[in-house]
Amino acid sequence: MMKKIFFSVLIITLIISLQNSSSAIAQNKADITYIRIRVDGLSCPFCAYGLEKKLKKVDGAANLHIELEEGIVTLEVPKDKKPTAESLKKVVTDAGFTPREIKFSDIPFKEKDEDNK
Amino acid sequence: MRKVIHHISILLLFLLASINYSLAQGPPIFTDTPILLGLEGSGIRTFGKFVEKEQASIYIQPIILPYNITPKILLGAIVPLVNKKPDNMAARFGVGDMAVFIKRTLYQKDGKAKTFRVVGKIKQVFPTGNSIEAPALGADSYQTLFGVVTGYITTKIGLYSDIGYNITSNGLSDNFIYNFAVGYPLLRQQYPAKQVNLFLELNGNYFLEPQANNLFISPGVQWITGRRLLIESGVQLPMLEQVAATQKTKFIFTLGIRVLLF
Repeated sequence: MMKKIFFSVLIITLIISLQNSSSAIAQNKADITYIRIRVDGLSCPFCAYGLEKKLKKVDGAANLHIELEEGIVTLEVPKDKKPTAESLKKVVTDAGFTPREIKFSDIPFKEKDEDNK
Repeated sequence: MRKVIHHISILLLFLLASINYSLAQGPPIFTDTPILLGLEGSGIRTFGKFVEKEQASIYIQPIILPYNITPKILLGAIVPLVNKKPDNMAARFGVGDMAVFIKRTLYQKDGKAKTFRVVGKIKQVFPTGNSIEAPALGADSYQTLFGVVTGYITTKIGLYSDIGYNITSNGLSDNFIYNFAVGYPLLRQQYPAKQVNLFLELNGNYFLEPQANNLFISPGVQWITGRRLLIESGVQLPMLEQVAATQKTKFIFTLGIRVLLF
């Protein structure tokens, strides 16, 4: 009898903690703005380093990723620190490159691209 | 024994750092590039150049300090360390002729993973190298170079040209400098960088009085190990050298690193 009660409590605890963690993840994702910037002129690795340095100074910037061949930069910022497109364009220009398209999204761009397929 | 120690100490100096004596700021190795990467002062570069002449061995290690005051204007200074060892004479080590330079982007057209840029540059060399005692470490001449650097660079290939006119003083001949380079990356471009670049360059210098043309062919290889470190090596072989027999160059060997400090 005691064994039954113990395992029931254990399973219920597991279910509750799983629900909490998935809602925490969902909550965290909901607090993030995903940014994708198309940059022209990125033709060498040392060039990209200069751009990375400047973008890392954007308030709250994280998970910065640069794809040289595609000329795409992606990064994440907390929603309450979302920068303006103009400020991001200035960062890219100050790094010596030409900003093209800047997009903001509530979901990661990889997921968004897969949804659009 | 002294000779061995001497050569080892030169090699150690080689390995300490590398500064591009001819002002190359990234690829290529011997030719300048139109991409201004002063990176607000953290891009200190240096490499060692070993010049083997008919009657002398020369080691040059310049320290270049570039600084972007704006994205399109770069200021810099060059402090060259020189070790000269003529045959049958004691070696002399010291600071050579220092220089300051300014570069400005005159034209820039960026595309996806490519860029075309034209940069104007002015370099002023000061006769700070000891030229009184033999062997001289400096040219004993103020030299002002006006040049244009052009580059079409993609992630697949880089084409560069660097031409300029050098005005001299104190009896040294004015000269016209011309450099061309092709760079080819062997690996797929990625970031953080892991790349091996091959270069083939032509580096020339045409003196006006007396008229003399010197042209070198310069193959080289460059290994970019990560975000901030690059190791490169190249050799310059004379194709044409219109100088006195005792001044002819057997070869010039370059080995060094470029480090972005922070």
